[in-house]
Amino acid sequence: MALPLPPGLTPAEVAFLCEMEMVTIVPRQRLDGLELLGGSIPPLQPPRRTDIPLWLALLLKRQNRANIVPPPWLLPASLANILDVETEMTEAFSSPPPLPPSAKGSEPISPPFQPSCTADASAHALPYHWLEVGEVLLDAASDDFEEPDLVRRLIRDIREVRLSKLRAGVEVLDAGGGVQMNGVGGLEVAEGRAFIGGVIDNLRKLGASKEQTRKEREAEEERNGYSGAGADDYDDDMEL
Amino acid sequence: MSYYDVDAILTDAQKVPCTFELTVPGLGHLEGNPGAEVKEGTKLELPLWLAQMLAITPAGTKPGMITLDLPDSLSQKVTNALRADPRTVELRSLAPHFFNLGTRMLDLFEEEELSDLLTESFKLRAKELADHAHNPRGALGEGAEFLQGLDENERRLFRATHEGAKAVRAWLVGMQKK
Repeated sequence: MALPLPPGLTPAEVAFLCEMEMVTIVPRQRLDGLELLGGSIPPLQPPRRTDIPLWLALLLKRQNRANIVPPPWLLPASLANILDVETEMTEAFSSPPPLPPSAKGSEPISPPFQPSCTADASAHALPYHWLEVGEVLLDAASDDFEEPDLVRRLIRDIREVRLSKLRAGVEVLDAGGGVQMNGVGGLEVAEGRAFIGGVIDNLRKLGASKEQTRKEREAEEERNGYSGAGADDYDDDMEL
Repeated sequence: MSYYDVDAILTDAQKVPCTFELTVPGLGHLEGNPGAEVKEGTKLELPLWLAQMLAITPAGTKPGMITLDLPDSLSQKVTNALRADPRTVELRSLAPHFFNLGTRMLDLFEEEELSDLLTESFKLRAKELADHAHNPRGALGEGAEFLQGLDENERRLFRATHEGAKAVRAWLVGMQKK
């Protein structure tokens, strides 16, 4: 093992990736459009709302040149709603934001490239980077929230509920079973990867001999099936 | 399991009870009287790697030179306890590599019931383990007793789970300090 890091992304790496998300800002100063490798940034004209990447928004916010508009799902009312849904659904996670209807002829856009943290995002669903974006915004732009403490508390609550669901999921893991993991966020995956992967690996080892027996039996049955005559099959089955 | 996997080697070194099916001259030192022979029907504890080879090597008319038994750590007493509540059994004191040993035994014996029981126990214990791993105080909290009873596989799982939670917490704190 060359790197001492476990497989998968570390929380800091996930948070770095989430800075690619688009957020809505209200600029306080004019800024000409920027042509960057990652795409062009439109010219900023106060007080017109503009969508820019989170990293740039954070930079402008720190220099006090812009205010960040929290995405609709980060408002206390929507978070409280989502928390209710999460608490009621004991099996699955609340669904991720719906995909926009794709324009004809173009590829459909899915979460990493779909703007999910802008001001016109869905208010009833948590996007992939919800936890990271939420924490980063609360840290850097808490004065743009009306009730930052309430939002922080709600985020913690939702996180706890979802984590306990992720943990409880191991009980239903089995050869044929699975955990419904739709809507699990990036940071949650980074946190739970070691545990879920480890459990599955160990269960696979424990079940290996049983699986082997089952396969042998199936192969046996298949052979008997191909051998033809029905009466013989019965005899063979009796011996088993 | 890789060739150099220390855990696999240690699992192989655990002893299992065997019964000799034939008389072997000159092996008396195994049961404490050197120079004598090991008689047919003698019960001895042999390391798993040796016992496995002897058990599947045909000798004369017999299918193996020895017959294997389930080790004490998988005896009726233990399975009953696991059936009652897997979380209260101290697997570590039974066998440090309990689940690995169980897997090896399941390879040798066809025991569907035991396989199901081990799988169920592992799941229940993993859930309990995850709850403890998310405790910021780690193994020092109230679950210390349970955590001491974890076998090697579970310990590794616990460490990995704890590291994950710790990394996220560290990131949160680090960001706020900036």
